[in-house]
Amino acid sequence: MIISRFGETGQQKLKAAHVVVAGIGGLGSPASSYLAAAGAGHLTIIDSQRVELSNLNRQVLHWEPDVGRSKVKSATEKLTAMNSNIKVDAIFEQITSENVDRLTKGVDVVVDGMDNYPTRYLLNEACARNRVPFIHGAVEGLVGQLMTILPGGGPCLKCAIPNEPPKKPCFPVLGATPGVIGCLQAMEAIKLITGVGEPLVGRMLIFNGMDMTFDEIKVNRDPSCQVCGRQDR
Amino acid sequence: MAVTVKFFAGFREATGKIQDSIEGVNNVTSLLDELVRRFGEKLAERLYSSDTRELRKTVNILVNGRRLDFLQKLNTPLKDEDVVAIFPPVAGG
Repeated sequence: MIISRFGETGQQKLKAAHVVVAGIGGLGSPASSYLAAAGAGHLTIIDSQRVELSNLNRQVLHWEPDVGRSKVKSATEKLTAMNSNIKVDAIFEQITSENVDRLTKGVDVVVDGMDNYPTRYLLNEACARNRVPFIHGAVEGLVGQLMTILPGGGPCLKCAIPNEPPKKPCFPVLGATPGVIGCLQAMEAIKLITGVGEPLVGRMLIFNGMDMTFDEIKVNRDPSCQVCGRQDR
Repeated sequence: MAVTVKFFAGFREATGKIQDSIEGVNNVTSLLDELVRRFGEKLAERLYSSDTRELRKTVNILVNGRRLDFLQKLNTPLKDEDVVAIFPPVAGG
């Protein structure tokens, strides 16, 4: 990698890295693609769903012939075809309180590709407990949000968003929106792994494609937060 | 001197503004009252439940980066130069 400040050392760090992409849909597809293309050596992709036709506007790792197949199998084929030098572990499971520690413990970064807050909160808690960076992303319509959560280093997801948004039967999403946020999640993961740049900690980025703006909301960590409040700084 | 309010996503559509400067408010309740007075029912619908008229749980309000839950909720005092962010988190992935 000849970009300034990355170099061969950065590439080696990427090769040695283990990244979990939790959910291989609209966010997980671009995030894992750019991680694979960048040479992140070990990806674990987790998803319990099968590809549906309605996914294809945004879940760009899955194609028409993949409808009905498991998303992790479909994605693994594309990611390993993209970069044969990486290892991809496909986990066809739903993330639960029973398996979340096993799935996240000891990895370098967890990327949030989920479509619901209960599972995001499980990942947020597990990452805090196991001291793993967690890169939160979420989208709807033309709006996306992004925040990087470092154990012991800033606010967590609960500090920023204490209550889950109302459940809806589906979230209409313009496909390019998770494309934007998923790419930014990959960028944050690459930065954390290589130690380059300033991560998006203590700041939530809000992307609004409707007026094409990127804004930051300052978020402070709260000492009384039940998830991260007692962690050492 | 005033409080700066930043609107995000749907709140930006409801107000037609990215941010506004509000004078003469001393806590979050009085700020929201003033915002509803300025921007009308379209904003009120996004802020308050139509049944209970209570603030919707999914409306996130941060005062200088801190959630209202960790402050004094709607009674959280405001002073000049405070920055209030109002946003509805999105959920899809």
